[in-house]
Amino acid sequence: MAKTEDKGWSPYLAGALSGVVSILSVWIAGKFFGASTTFVRSAGIIERLFDAERVGQMAYFVKEVPKIEWQWMFVVGVFIGSLVASTTSHTFQWKPIPDMWEKRFGPSKVKRGIVAFMGGLIAMFGARLADG
Amino acid sequence: MKMLIYGLITGILFGFLLQKSRVIRYDKQLGALRLMDMTIVKFMLSTILVAMVGTYLLKDLGLVKLSIKATVLGGTILGGLIFGIGWGFLGYCPATSAGAFGEGRWDAIWGIVGMLVGAALYAEAYPGLKKTVLTWGDLGKITLPQVLGVNHWFIIPIFVIGGLVLFRWFERKGL
Repeated sequence: MAKTEDKGWSPYLAGALSGVVSILSVWIAGKFFGASTTFVRSAGIIERLFDAERVGQMAYFVKEVPKIEWQWMFVVGVFIGSLVASTTSHTFQWKPIPDMWEKRFGPSKVKRGIVAFMGGLIAMFGARLADG
Repeated sequence: MKMLIYGLITGILFGFLLQKSRVIRYDKQLGALRLMDMTIVKFMLSTILVAMVGTYLLKDLGLVKLSIKATVLGGTILGGLIFGIGWGFLGYCPATSAGAFGEGRWDAIWGIVGMLVGAALYAEAYPGLKKTVLTWGDLGKITLPQVLGVNHWFIIPIFVIGGLVLFRWFERKGL
């Protein structure tokens, strides 16, 4: 297997294999890769616990119905796949702050948490606006 | 039920490959945004090039249908810019945040919670955006071959060759 210095697989190889997985997915299930719609559906599922009637009337949740479907399971699968790959290769690491972040912004978990939260919020709003 | 299992298996395979090639790491994602480490670009572009050839082959054989999204310039450009800002802060994208959490990088959790809030806020803003930004530059469901009026097998090799030239340049520069 092609290896780079940090013992990871070559990104060309892993990327090309992901392409093959994508082709098979389109062929077998008729589904293209995606993740951000899952966050919309999940937000709707959570909001529905508090006010089901309101969620049922919101245009965006009529368009992207809050339910567990192919892509929702795909995102859960990504989590499991990464968990399996990391634990079987001893690269799983319970780590609150990335190295590059710590070097620049220090070891505060609160600071990292706030910026990560804001970043996630902004990124998802943009992703949905671009319909991606 | 069958679709749910397909989704899960596809996700597991993709998550496995994402972790093996280290592309779900914050340092790799920020490395690309800072133009220091092109690992994730190599991964993404390899996936796209392989999938492009395979998907169009299957389409020509009548085995699959493309799922083309409408090109709305207002939404795509503004949304892309906003996404980029958020991505730079978080250092994970929607799928990789799930993968990053899977290998124990639990700062991804804050990002996932933020993304759920962002999705909820977008749902609130949607009726207003639909009347404004999402009407700007709506070109409909277009593709490059269709716009240029040529067969897709003229376009695909150009992308493949362009990608390979870029890869060669990355390797020469040690990116």
